[in-house]
Amino acid sequence: MTADSGETRAETAGAGAAVDLTAAPDAAAADVSAELLAQSLGQYLRAWWLGVRSGNSGVLPVVLAMVLVAITFEIVTPEHAFLRPSNLVYIFGLSTVYIMLAMAETVVLLLGEIDLSVGAVALVGGVIAFKLVQQSGPDWPWWAAVLASLACCGVIGALQGTLTARLKIPSFVVTLAGFLLFSGLLVVVLGGANGFLSVSSSVPNQRVIYNMVQGVIVPVAGWVALAVVVGAAGVALWLREAARRRQGLVTPPASLTAIRIALVALVGVGVVLICTVNRGTPLVSVQGVPWVIPIVLVVLGAWTLLLQRTRFGRYIYAIGGNPEAASRAGVSLAGIRTWAFALCSATAGLGGILLGSFFFGQYSTNTADPGQLVLYAVAAAVIGGVSLFGGRGKAIHGFLGGLLIGGIAYGVSLLNLGTLATPLEYIVPGGVLLAAVLVDVLSRRGTGSVTRV
Amino acid sequence: MSDRPVTTDSGETPSGTADAGTVVDLTAAPEAAAADVPPELLAQSLGQYARAWWVRVRGGNSGVLPVVLAIVVVAVSFQVANSNFLSALNLVNLFKQSTVYMVLAMAEIFALLLGEIDLSVGLVMAFGSVIVAELVQPTGANFPWWAAIIVALLVCSAFGALQGSLVARLRMPSFIVTLGGLLILEGVAIIILGGSLVSIGNSRFTNEVVLYDIFYGQFDPVVSWILLAVLVGAAGTGFWLRDVRKRRAGLETPPRSLTALKIALMAVAGIAVVAICNVNRAHSGTIEGVPYIIPIVLVVLAASTVLLQRTRFGRYVYAIGGNPEAARRAGVSLPRVRTWGFVLAALTSGIAGVLFASWQVSLTTNIIKTANSYVLLAVAAAVIGGTSLFGGRGKTIHGVLGGLVIGGIYNGLYLLGVSSQWIDVVVAAVLLVAAAVDVLSRRGAPRQA
Repeated sequence: MTADSGETRAETAGAGAAVDLTAAPDAAAADVSAELLAQSLGQYLRAWWLGVRSGNSGVLPVVLAMVLVAITFEIVTPEHAFLRPSNLVYIFGLSTVYIMLAMAETVVLLLGEIDLSVGAVALVGGVIAFKLVQQSGPDWPWWAAVLASLACCGVIGALQGTLTARLKIPSFVVTLAGFLLFSGLLVVVLGGANGFLSVSSSVPNQRVIYNMVQGVIVPVAGWVALAVVVGAAGVALWLREAARRRQGLVTPPASLTAIRIALVALVGVGVVLICTVNRGTPLVSVQGVPWVIPIVLVVLGAWTLLLQRTRFGRYIYAIGGNPEAASRAGVSLAGIRTWAFALCSATAGLGGILLGSFFFGQYSTNTADPGQLVLYAVAAAVIGGVSLFGGRGKAIHGFLGGLLIGGIAYGVSLLNLGTLATPLEYIVPGGVLLAAVLVDVLSRRGTGSVTRV
Repeated sequence: MSDRPVTTDSGETPSGTADAGTVVDLTAAPEAAAADVPPELLAQSLGQYARAWWVRVRGGNSGVLPVVLAIVVVAVSFQVANSNFLSALNLVNLFKQSTVYMVLAMAEIFALLLGEIDLSVGLVMAFGSVIVAELVQPTGANFPWWAAIIVALLVCSAFGALQGSLVARLRMPSFIVTLGGLLILEGVAIIILGGSLVSIGNSRFTNEVVLYDIFYGQFDPVVSWILLAVLVGAAGTGFWLRDVRKRRAGLETPPRSLTALKIALMAVAGIAVVAICNVNRAHSGTIEGVPYIIPIVLVVLAASTVLLQRTRFGRYVYAIGGNPEAARRAGVSLPRVRTWGFVLAALTSGIAGVLFASWQVSLTTNIIKTANSYVLLAVAAAVIGGTSLFGGRGKTIHGVLGGLVIGGIYNGLYLLGVSSQWIDVVVAAVLLVAAAVDVLSRRGAPRQA
């Protein structure tokens, strides 16, 4: 809300003749987005459409892009295999690291900074966790290894954040050096260029990490969990609105809340249905929701709460929108920036652990190219709708952008392009990144917010 | 190395001169014309000049001093660790290996001076090298070597123009444009290489021999001395005549002794280089003389220095880097100068590509990984050399000296048998230190916030 409020006003003036609060430019609308004032579903939709037209389109472009990509690949791939349930589940697993890194990158981009080290830090995080559960090595319990890995990554992020926030070294230089540094240290921790670490599903302690992406929730439990989650979320949403209405606060129409809950339920049912289809062989059945889906959703939920509902989140948007103004309003720029970098790196570290689990619990120097991970992460965040200039974007944008990038990467790999396959792995994300930034730049231009000389 | 352009430094000098001392000379008078020109320009004796220079160094505007000190530290510490480091053989190798870093750093400086960054220089270099090597293949295009080089440089420049336009006209952030650009170039380079190997090492084809010799060939020792004499003579006469003309026209001129000192320094450095290069550095047989690549780098350095220090375009670059809004209000066309900046960065990277092709001889898709790490080295070399990340401060000589530091670190650690991942760690640390020094020295300077 902080990020968008200023941009709604100019457009509401042209909203039309219907007399409603969303169309009154001089009313309280000047300070809150028009959707908040809508009193019926129709008004809400109209206000939303105005927002979209004024360049404030939220998740709409990335959702449209996902539909477009899905349809295109479904048509052009051999045997029209793209939308098979087994492929869709695989795409989510493949996208997990991009989703996590994009969400990590989002919080730094919101500040108007950039973190080019997320790829290397993610791999370092994964390797630390894998190293700590080795039976021949420390043999820590899995939860301690994961916590230690996240803590290490958090400290790495805090160090980089301190250099950026207190010494005022540009973040892309600090994190460029960090990228180089941790790419080197990664090889050291792995134990040389031929180093190799793995976790096995036959060791109880390591199985938890192995199963994060590879393991599934049995279908019945999946349905029960879905019902519980949707029920709880729905009741909570409904009760919150009821409480607001009772206190006389501006509340979105009840029909809208109902539609939202229904949408969440619908998407949830769709996901569980797809996951429940047997995607193994007739002999060895694999069905059920992979653990990674609830894991990623919990991270998404945590980031959304942190950014949208806490003071820390508001400060991040404030700094990204205008650091000078935030500083004069008493926000500690250095403190918030350092914390943001620390949380970004910790999230990246979790992404690295999930990446190792996705590769059947194996880590080597060839698992992933840290440079490419960063590029995909930044591209995913920007494609999802996070502005590179700070102050605009949400965790869900990183989530959707990561899913889109993973989908594109997998679709291209399905095409059997032979010698063109490798070059397209570079060209497609490069082109998509440029296109996304172009849209970001042009949409900012449309809103009349500050442009650079 | 001493007189810096008025545009970049003028604002920082006055406060420093205030505490210059009690000697009454023009360099010490803060209210005099000194407010607008560096005090070195007003110095009337060698002593005054040296004092003014020292004041400026203390004011945070240290020019090449830190990087020269860094070179000395690198040289001494590696020589202590391994007595082969300063041998003639290793010094020539070190210099040759550093040339690619030097030229790439000079390319990066064109972007950095504008307050932008070009992350694609490494890939543009790889792309240029692939084009050159592919075009001279006798079974393929079979271009003459010079035509292949020209085509490669043109293609690189066109790519730079494209990136520059996106940055300058649409105001997309340069690091994203060049990030996307480098990804696309990676793909295109793989397509051109087609999964196979391209080599320019066949001695039966003149075109390949010429390209090969760019890196591996050298002048005859006698020719090396003659070239040095001609070069130093010409440059010395040029300097001297320019000073004489300025003096006759009544302009502020550095003291004669300083000009003589500069020419003498140049001659001494040149003689040292030629003497080292003329030592026989072959294990068996004879390899002696100045490698061709040294004059090539010097030509790139001289051309870029003249362009940046002596032309209107160069002044505009510094003006934009210092304060884009002020430059715009003064009538400088920001989009045009910025686009040209990126064209020059890509062109210079293309030159690095020609050197790189000659160095590697055989090109495979492995060069892409190499090229990606070179971007970081180029930025590091430029910043270590003394170029500011924030625009408006730096010269291409900084790229050459910074490239020498990077090349020295690589070479030295390699001699000591350090594995490559630790070398990356050291370079990262050096980059961070250089960036921190850049930030802190800016903080010390009174102009910027």
